[in-house]
Amino acid sequence: MKVYDEATIVEQLHHQATAREAFSRVIEHYSSQLYWHIRRLVIDHDDADDVLQNTFIKAWTNIDNFRGDAQLMTWLYKIATNESITFINKKKARLQASLDDEGAEALVADLETDKWFDGDDLQVRLLHAIASLPDKQRVVFTMRYYEEMKYEQMSEILGTSVGALKASYHHAVKKIEAFFQDDD
Amino acid sequence: MKPEESQILAKLGREPGFKVPQGYFEDLTARVMDRLPEVEITDVDATPTLWMRVRPYVYLAAMFAGVWCMMTIFNRYNGTADGSLQRMAAVAADVTEASNADDFLLMTGFDDYDIIAYDDSTYDEALATDEDLTNTTTP
Repeated sequence: MKVYDEATIVEQLHHQATAREAFSRVIEHYSSQLYWHIRRLVIDHDDADDVLQNTFIKAWTNIDNFRGDAQLMTWLYKIATNESITFINKKKARLQASLDDEGAEALVADLETDKWFDGDDLQVRLLHAIASLPDKQRVVFTMRYYEEMKYEQMSEILGTSVGALKASYHHAVKKIEAFFQDDD
Repeated sequence: MKPEESQILAKLGREPGFKVPQGYFEDLTARVMDRLPEVEITDVDATPTLWMRVRPYVYLAAMFAGVWCMMTIFNRYNGTADGSLQRMAAVAADVTEASNADDFLLMTGFDDYDIIAYDDSTYDEALATDEDLTNTTTP
C-alpha cells in the first residue's frame, strides 16, 4: 500500500494527468473520517452515503479552487459540514416541519427500526436531545463530543471564533442536560 | 471527563451506536470515482515556490524602505537633514546683516555720493602719508 503524502497528493491534484488518480487516494484516505462526521449529523446511513458522495463530487469539481492554503482535511470537512446542514434543512422542509423543533426530531424518529443502528435507549435519547439543538450547536456539539475535535481546528472548519464555539458547546450541553432532566 | 462536560454526558459514552453495511468502505472509492465528472484542471504548481515563500518578507522590507525614503525627503525639504540647517542659518545671518546695513544707510541719510567721497578722501589721505603709494603714482 502506498504511503499517503499530502504535499505530493496536493501537487498531483493540480495537474490534469495525475489529478484523478490523486483524488482516488484522497477518497481512500478521508472517506471513513468524513462518513462518520456526516453520519453523526444526518443520522441515517443512506442519507450519510448520499451526502458523502456529494461532498467528494463537490470537492472534485472545485479542486481548482483548492490552493493548499489550508489542509485538505479542513477543506473537505468544511464541504461535508455544509452539505450535511443543507441536506438536513432540505429534509426538514420536505417533512414540512419548522426549523428547530419537531422537524429536527424527525431525523431520529426511525432510529429504533433502523437496521444500521444498534444503540441502546440512552444513546437514542441522546440523539433525540442533539437533534433538538439549533443547527450550529448541533454541529459544534457533534464535533466536540463525538469526534473530540480541538476548538482551534473546529474554528478553521466552521469559520467561527474559538470563544464562540466554546459558548455554543456550553449552551448545547446545558440544553442536553435540561432535555434529560425533563425526560426523567 | 473534561471540566466543561456534565455528569449526564460522562455516563453516556461517545459511541452513538451506528453501524455500516459489511464492506461499505471497501467499494466506496470505486463508487465515488464512477460518479466523478470530467473536469478541466489548470496545471499549476501547488507547491509554494521560493518567491511565494519570501514574497511577504520582500513586501515588508519594501514598505520600510519606502517609509525611510519618505522621511528622508521630508526632512530634506524641512531643513533638518545633515548640513542643511547650518547652511540655512548662515544665509539667514547674511541676510540679517545686509538688512541691517540697508537700515543704517536709510536712517543716517547716507547715499552713494557719501560713500564715494569717503573712499576718495581716504585714498587722498593714504597717498599723502604712504611713501610707497606716492612713489607708485608719481611718474
